[in-house]
Amino acid sequence: MKLKKMLAVGAVVFGFAALQAQADTELEFWTMNLAPKFNGYFDQAVTKFNATNPGLKAKWVDLNWDQIQPKLVAAIAAGNPPSLVNFNVPWVHEFAAQGNLVALDQYLGADKNNYSNAALKDVTVGGKVYAFPWYNSVSIIAYNKDILAKAGVKSAPKTFEELVSTGKQITAKTGVPAFAPKLGNFVGWFYYAGLPVLENGKAVFNSPKHVAFVQKFADLYKAGVLPKDVFKVEFEQEIALYNSGKIAMLTTAPQALKRTETDAKAIYDKTGVAKFPEDAGKQAFGAWLMDFVIPKGSKDPAAAAKLGKFLTGDEQQVLFSKATETTFPSTKKGNLDPYFQDGAKSPDAVNQARAVAAKSMDNARTLYLPPGALPDEAALTKKLQDEVQSAIEGRKPVKAALDEVVAAWNEKLAK
Amino acid sequence: MKTSSSYTAIAYLFLAPALILMGIFTFWPVGFNTYLAFQDYSLADGTSTWNNFAHFKYIAGEELFHNALKNSVLYLLIVPVIQLSALIVAKLVNNKLPAMTFFRAVYYIPVITAISIAAVVWSNVYKYDGLLSWFLQALHILPQGQDGQIDWLGNPHIALYMVMLFTFWKGIGYYMVLYLAGLQAIPAEVEEAAILDGANVFQRFWKITVPMVKPTILLCTLLCTIAAMKAFQEVVVLTKGQSDTYTALFYVYDQGFGSNHNFGRAAAAGVVVTFFCMILAIIQFRFFGDKK
Repeated sequence: MKLKKMLAVGAVVFGFAALQAQADTELEFWTMNLAPKFNGYFDQAVTKFNATNPGLKAKWVDLNWDQIQPKLVAAIAAGNPPSLVNFNVPWVHEFAAQGNLVALDQYLGADKNNYSNAALKDVTVGGKVYAFPWYNSVSIIAYNKDILAKAGVKSAPKTFEELVSTGKQITAKTGVPAFAPKLGNFVGWFYYAGLPVLENGKAVFNSPKHVAFVQKFADLYKAGVLPKDVFKVEFEQEIALYNSGKIAMLTTAPQALKRTETDAKAIYDKTGVAKFPEDAGKQAFGAWLMDFVIPKGSKDPAAAAKLGKFLTGDEQQVLFSKATETTFPSTKKGNLDPYFQDGAKSPDAVNQARAVAAKSMDNARTLYLPPGALPDEAALTKKLQDEVQSAIEGRKPVKAALDEVVAAWNEKLAK
Repeated sequence: MKTSSSYTAIAYLFLAPALILMGIFTFWPVGFNTYLAFQDYSLADGTSTWNNFAHFKYIAGEELFHNALKNSVLYLLIVPVIQLSALIVAKLVNNKLPAMTFFRAVYYIPVITAISIAAVVWSNVYKYDGLLSWFLQALHILPQGQDGQIDWLGNPHIALYMVMLFTFWKGIGYYMVLYLAGLQAIPAEVEEAAILDGANVFQRFWKITVPMVKPTILLCTLLCTIAAMKAFQEVVVLTKGQSDTYTALFYVYDQGFGSNHNFGRAAAAGVVVTFFCMILAIIQFRFFGDKK
């Protein structure tokens, strides 16, 4: 008797679960490094989406950024990719060029016009849009007022030249490395400085101007203005260096300051914020658009697109920016929200940073070589990085290093 | 009464769990990998087409892969060093002295520590203002101040050797345990007889210990050689292939899961590495194996 009862209950439960599972299409979406800090935002977004879209069930999964590619590649190969994946711009180009993403034009329709032109350009490959533009940010300079005062620096640098000379002054007077710029993508620096990388299908970055530009970094490195292991410094390491007073200036996305606020309050309280200066390239430095893509093989791309448009719509983008306090929407209307400019006069560094960065958003293109311009891009980029590192760290004259990369690039480009 | 055929059936039954797992996770991947090496594999739709050795032709002409192979071959330098050291350490901890269990455990702890965690710790040891620079400066081996702070993993001339030092630290305990087992199988009489004959410590080590643990040396050298050719995890965590530490398996990983997603090319490079491993294994069997 008892057994029969248990079986009956079991059957009902399983039956119900099976019914439930059949009824809802599950839409799993992956994001990059946003849990647990933004659990509140995503709970809200998922609940709202599920309530307004019966039959669809969004499911949020957050991953560390360096897990996303391997896991996605494995999931695509296994035939079971998620509905949406949070990508950066270079990844969109890589995956789209290899035919691993779903083109979104047919799903976007007129909604395409909601997004800012710069953002759309960033995620367009071969005339087709491959991602829903999401949040963006640009680099700012956050500086330790104590260290700058000790070095006798009166105001934050307004041009790149000033950034270089201020850095030298800080290190000469205080012995502290001034800043640790990300050098992992030197092509981006050439664009920033308005120097061409490819012209007429040939690598051209060994002109005297290019040599002089790289030489500036080599001089900074030699003088100890950049930390000795600057080529290993990424986002996390830079924040850690700044928070422990080992560098005087942060030159990265403003969301880093949120970490300083929670991890190193004492440093945060003496932090000032300035715009990262533009150089001859007339580009806001460090723009880094985040977006959502639909991987090929995704079960229900139309439903996935629905979720994508929901997450990157005006309302949700502004809500997300309010949750992060330091990132910006990529929609035209989103950035007009008064929330973004009110911080200009605030004494709080994060509020200031928001207003400062928002002003740079018009010129926010994620710097990157045109897709498909390089055969075997991975190998050529590595060659460039290795040689530039040798030059900046003083193991090789800059001219010789750049000559060698240009020769290697042109050999492959000629094929 | 059991017949011999039912014994065979039972034997296979006992082997089955291991065989099935190995089949799924070892033999099938090796076979599929070899198949992929000759195909253009499309990730999106899972189709593959014969490409007439194109991957092998490509990697034969690619400098990056040559350099990766060169680094992997250089990595083999670790094999004799680690084997000799492990044998000596095993000999030392084979003494019947108090606290020997403690020392055995200490040498073994790195082996059971997850490589990613250990490598994160070591990347701090190797930082230019980290433990190693500090230690050598404290001993006045390196000059004081900024000049003596060496970016151990940033300088291409030394970075690979620093990664090898990490492998050494991580691996020595494993081989020590294997040698320890080999040493304990040596009957005490042999050594006692040698002492009576007046052999000194070195003579006993070379004439008795080494020949008696020769099978273990073969096993350990083989394992260590294959492990060295496969050096990959330590590179990922410590240097990400920067500063001329790009090894052959890192190339495989980078082609497959890096920016190219070229599984065919990755598979071809994997086959080349396997080929190298087999040649080395054959050489080692010639040297240390039993002569018939």
